[in-house]
Amino acid sequence: MTPAITVRNPGLFSLIVDLGRTGFGAVGVPASSALDRYACQALYSLLDCANAPILEVIGPRFALQFDADVVCAIAGAKVKAFLDDTPLRPWASFQAKRGSLLRVKEITEGFRYYIGFAGKIKAEAVMGSYTTNIECRFGGLNGAALKSGDILHLEESREMETNIIPLNLIPPMNSPHILRVIEGPEADAFTADSCRHFWEKGCHELFTVSTNLNRTGIRLEGTPLVFKPEAAKSIVSEGIVSGTVQIPGDGLPIIQLHERTIGGYARVAVIARADQDRLAHLKAGDLVCFERIAVEEGEHLWMEKQKRLAKLLSPTGSV
Amino acid sequence: MIIKRYAESALRIIFGSQIDMEVHEKVRRAFFLLISLHRVDIIEIIPSFCSCLVIYDDDMTSYETLADLLRERLADLSAVEMPPPQIHEIPVHYGDDYGPDLSFVAKHCHLDISEVIERHCAELYTVFTVGFTPGFPYLGTLDESIAAPRLETPRTRIPAGSVGIAQLQTGIYPFESPAGWRIIGRTDIRLFDPARPPYSLMQIGDKVRFIEER
Repeated sequence: MTPAITVRNPGLFSLIVDLGRTGFGAVGVPASSALDRYACQALYSLLDCANAPILEVIGPRFALQFDADVVCAIAGAKVKAFLDDTPLRPWASFQAKRGSLLRVKEITEGFRYYIGFAGKIKAEAVMGSYTTNIECRFGGLNGAALKSGDILHLEESREMETNIIPLNLIPPMNSPHILRVIEGPEADAFTADSCRHFWEKGCHELFTVSTNLNRTGIRLEGTPLVFKPEAAKSIVSEGIVSGTVQIPGDGLPIIQLHERTIGGYARVAVIARADQDRLAHLKAGDLVCFERIAVEEGEHLWMEKQKRLAKLLSPTGSV
Repeated sequence: MIIKRYAESALRIIFGSQIDMEVHEKVRRAFFLLISLHRVDIIEIIPSFCSCLVIYDDDMTSYETLADLLRERLADLSAVEMPPPQIHEIPVHYGDDYGPDLSFVAKHCHLDISEVIERHCAELYTVFTVGFTPGFPYLGTLDESIAAPRLETPRTRIPAGSVGIAQLQTGIYPFESPAGWRIIGRTDIRLFDPARPPYSLMQIGDKVRFIEER
């Protein structure tokens, strides 16, 4: 019999994700991946379950009940979580016994946390991925967010040693968020002065994360960017990459996450690939500033991050 | 054709800067040629009005290598094999709750509402690209006399099937989603089915005609 895990409380919002959907960009299908892919890969490493569906959760009071012995792990935002009355360590795997209750009481750093299992949650694979496209309601568990009473069936469940991710491989996730950016295709549409305030070291404009944020994008509040008088306020719609910072007519940045393939607003910048996981942890009221780097620096930072990831993924070598 | 880098692991192959059938034809040919290369280092190809965005695997290639290769392979677009375009007829309820911005567009363009509808239905549009949300067709070219700007602040939710216009483009929102375009009507046609390949009703190069449903 496959173990069943019952969602007793879905927290504020939770859904099934993985590393995302690729290859259908030409018909507008976005990646919809875990927003913190590094945390997702940490779970894959801890649980030796590459590409398995995992849970992405926002908010406290998330609770799961186990009807069989299951090895689980938590990564991403740091949380005060308990298995019955035993406190759990963040970024570590643990053994949940039959009948036990996993509860998350409080988030102490970051915004989104991830829960995975040694096995494979039975979920709908759509176009090569288990991840939920929440806007279009496909993938995941019937294309929907998790709700109380949902049952996750765990296939190929197996015993394994528990493990931890060392502290030096856990990234900071607290506000203020300093995000490194690479110049975008329409950076020229903005006055030199407003670009300097936007991204030059030393004269950083601080932006505040607005309440208008979801898995698609994050709207910021602050001093609007100023278009050059001759610049068009929107562009002929064009393909965009994840992490593109778009500026609509009101001058306030929108950071695109992994849910859009095409955009029509001026693309002032792109969040460096190495800093994109941090976007999972921006919450309303957090402070954000941008720091311009060259594309080569972005490549270098990404290589360094890949090295940290390789350490995560080396079996037991990291402990 | 110009190739420009876009962040660490993507490039734009640019064929023009305006919505234009000649540019579109080049984009479409480049898109089908890129697919036919079956390159494992190319992760996504996203064609749009004036360019193809190519997202590549930077573990397998570099910007310089791929850009050089694509410059060479895309130099001649005359003999690309492409699927024949399909023609789609889309019935639309215009105005009222279905199209909350129809009266704005009429006012902006100094036209009667019926004239806006008539002109919107008069064109045989080309699918310049599909995206924004899965299956969303970007259609052109809109009659200049009914062009209207995007909303300065996008709406956070509009119903599935909403038909919008923005500058010289028109399109259909396949899903309930946020929207920055001016919404003039709504259709009941399903534009995307995640369970059935090829998933999207429309693809680049297809043709669309709107029919007013009364």
